[in-house]
Amino acid sequence: MATGEEAAAHAEGHSPLEQFEIHPLIKIEEQLWGWDLSFTNSSLWMVIAAVCVCLLVWQGTRERSLVPGRLQSLVELLYNFVADLLDSNVGHEGKKYFPFFFTLFTFILFGNMLGMIPGSFTFTSHIIVTFSMAIFVVTAVTMIGIWKHGWHFFSFFAPKGCPPAVMPLLVPIEILSYLIRPISLSVRLFVNMMAGHIMLKTFAGFIVALSTFYVLPAIAPLALTVALSGLEFAIAFLQAYVFTVLSSIYLNEALHLH
Amino acid sequence: MPQLDTSTFASQIFWLIVVFGALYYVLSRHALPRVASILQTRQERIAADLNQAQQLRLEAEQAMARYDEVIGAAQADAHAIAQATQAKLQAETAERLAALDARLATQVSEAEARIAAAKTAALQDLEEAAVTAAQAATERLAGLKVTKKDAQAALQAVTREAA
Repeated sequence: MATGEEAAAHAEGHSPLEQFEIHPLIKIEEQLWGWDLSFTNSSLWMVIAAVCVCLLVWQGTRERSLVPGRLQSLVELLYNFVADLLDSNVGHEGKKYFPFFFTLFTFILFGNMLGMIPGSFTFTSHIIVTFSMAIFVVTAVTMIGIWKHGWHFFSFFAPKGCPPAVMPLLVPIEILSYLIRPISLSVRLFVNMMAGHIMLKTFAGFIVALSTFYVLPAIAPLALTVALSGLEFAIAFLQAYVFTVLSSIYLNEALHLH
Repeated sequence: MPQLDTSTFASQIFWLIVVFGALYYVLSRHALPRVASILQTRQERIAADLNQAQQLRLEAEQAMARYDEVIGAAQADAHAIAQATQAKLQAETAERLAALDARLATQVSEAEARIAAAKTAALQDLEEAAVTAAQAATERLAGLKVTKKDAQAALQAVTREAA
């Protein structure tokens, strides 16, 4: 056991934000078009998440049994979960986009869940990742809407049955709220992930800091960390779900215009 | 805050596109169709089983209907046989009764004829006895010899007077 001062210094040395730091694992010296595209710890955990998803689905569908085993049940559950979500939010027309929504949901879910492993990296806790996904979803959905409805798509910003007098006020609000979608969608996921991990790290740090003086009081932050871990698992699932549901709602609005 | 370090953005976006794209490709081309085919196979199997169950139930119902039909026919047959037998028995009984009646009637009439014959014979005998007695009495009392024929005539006259 280290002395109190050493441990405290050690604990202080670890900022709760340190876990979000990105460092290259494979440095790509040759910069492409002036961009640094190094393979980082973030990239590594993206690959791990994707591989986990593929392995799960692959392993779960290997036996192709009529009465599913445990792993196959899990895969079917996941499949039906996303399919039902899409069906209830978008309807029949949404079937085409099912592979994308399944990828989106499982990628975020595994990113969040793998991030709960101590020492791992949560790539969904970076705004640029969540924002890229959100901007892709919103742009794609907008394009689908325009492609389907043509100019009529822009009637989306002028809700039907609205008195013309309030239109000058309403239309800018509608446009603003539409433009803010990628931000709200991405910030929601990023902030949830980041805040949860900072909280966990902070309370875990309290355990170390307190236990260097007395062991007994450290039980309180330990219990809290355990409870928070449970909460974080729930949030990891919930935020993946929320991201997917909101994306499907946006798609539905683009396809059916209110 | 490492999230705001723009120097890492290019790498994050690049690898996100690569990994997400690869995952999308693998899932949409290979993994998800497998799941879909499993689910569809099960759906078809369940539908086929339900269909078969329906078929079997229909067959069972038909068998039941046939059974009812056969039982009904047998019951009707049995009823008819019972009725026919009863009718035959009744007819036979009636026939026998009639025959018995007829025999009894002939016996009665025969007996009556015999009685009548016996009575006539008896009356004949009685008349003869009366004639003989009248002849004898007339001879004894009046000393007259009366022929049998006269006595008979006289007797008949008396009998007719008395009647």
